Amino acid sequence: MPSPSQTVERAKPLLGTRVAVRVNGLSAEAAHKAIDAAFAEIATVHALMSFHETASDVSRLNRQAHLEPVLVDERTYEVLRRAQIASAASDGIFDITVAPHLVSRTLLPQPKDASTPDGTADWRDIALLPGNRVFFGRPLWIDLGGIAKGYAVDRAAEILLAFAPSQIFVNAGGDLRVAGCEDERVLLDAGHDDRNALPTVDISNGSLASSNGRAHIDTRNGAGCSARRFVSVMAPSCTDADALTKIVMARGADSAPSLSRFGAWAVLYEEDSGWQKIAGSA
Amino acid sequence: MRAIFHLLPIAALTISVPAHATVYLTVEQAQALMFPGASLTPTFLTLTDAQVSAIENASSTSVRDRTLRAWRASTGGWFITDEVIGKHDYIPFAVAIDANGTVKGVEILEYREAYGGEVRNPQWLAQFTGKKNGDDIRDGESIRNISGATLSSKHLTDGLRRLLASYAVALANR
Repeated sequence: MPSPSQTVERAKPLLGTRVAVRVNGLSAEAAHKAIDAAFAEIATVHALMSFHETASDVSRLNRQAHLEPVLVDERTYEVLRRAQIASAASDGIFDITVAPHLVSRTLLPQPKDASTPDGTADWRDIALLPGNRVFFGRPLWIDLGGIAKGYAVDRAAEILLAFAPSQIFVNAGGDLRVAGCEDERVLLDAGHDDRNALPTVDISNGSLASSNGRAHIDTRNGAGCSARRFVSVMAPSCTDADALTKIVMARGADSAPSLSRFGAWAVLYEEDSGWQKIAGSA
Repeated sequence: MRAIFHLLPIAALTISVPAHATVYLTVEQAQALMFPGASLTPTFLTLTDAQVSAIENASSTSVRDRTLRAWRASTGGWFITDEVIGKHDYIPFAVAIDANGTVKGVEILEYREAYGGEVRNPQWLAQFTGKKNGDDIRDGESIRNISGATLSSKHLTDGLRRLLASYAVALANR
């Protein structure tokens, strides 16, 4: 039936969006096995890190971690570790303790049975203890919505690469990762219509994540971003790309030092000034 | 990582750039994947008024199409196809339900993606017609990947809820 070098691509509704996975260079049977495993991993990451599901690691942390250290899955621990690095690299512009602001704006539901968060708590109150245990110095609520989607994409990519395909592509609602020798061309949909040019990125062996200016919060005072912006970040990992979009959204061109620390760069679109490139030598 | 940003001049683009359709799986491929080794017998139904209201009440969604496209699997369970309204177009999808009424899997069968808000504007689309072979675009190849405002899968989850209600109302006791 199929030739060994065919392309197999499938898509499922996961992570609150459409997740598409494509592999090249495997038999159809191996390709479907790889894609099944990648989708299963994404579903697991979602179940661990959902703010909405009461049994998730995130919900357990929000209920208990200020009372006693809570044991979490190693994947949740890894995302928390990466989130803390992004917070440190941005002086807290990226901060997963933003959840109470998102709840008060009804962007997230009120968590069940969680203590009232301390309004002064921030990312520095999260202690990552040995043995995948997590403790909060004050009552606080975390939301991993700004980083877990990118991590799910990275995990799916790792699962696929274990099957040794020639090329892979994972796209979770625009947060994507490419591996293999070929470039992928990605169209950036900034939600505006330029009659003269289409913004695109050709990317190989890397990740791209995009974000637009609605529903993003500046955590220092809980105020929303003022400018209507569209941001795409290119980074080696999708976890970092996903987190960095929030930093570029808030800081614009001033985010260049943060981007460089991750080997990342960005393009930013603003209605007044058009497209600009931030950081990176590419 | 290697990544390069371009602003591609629209005049140089091929016709297929602004919208892209991906067929992930045909109905037959999805059936083989979700019910391996089974034979599937089409059992298409036209829902009655009473069934439609029962489904709408149970799922808090509206039934747009009274035809329930269901196949009975020889190994037990049902395969159903339906479509929901996406950002720009209908999204066909398939659901596999096992003999106990549990969802075994969901596959999006096809996705038509469009770029920007202007794609609905015939004049804007017309400028692509007949344009061929720009230097920057491989001839005849469209851009299949788009990164932008996150697409919500709410319509898909609503559609899935509607099909589970349809199963309970019209298929479970057959």
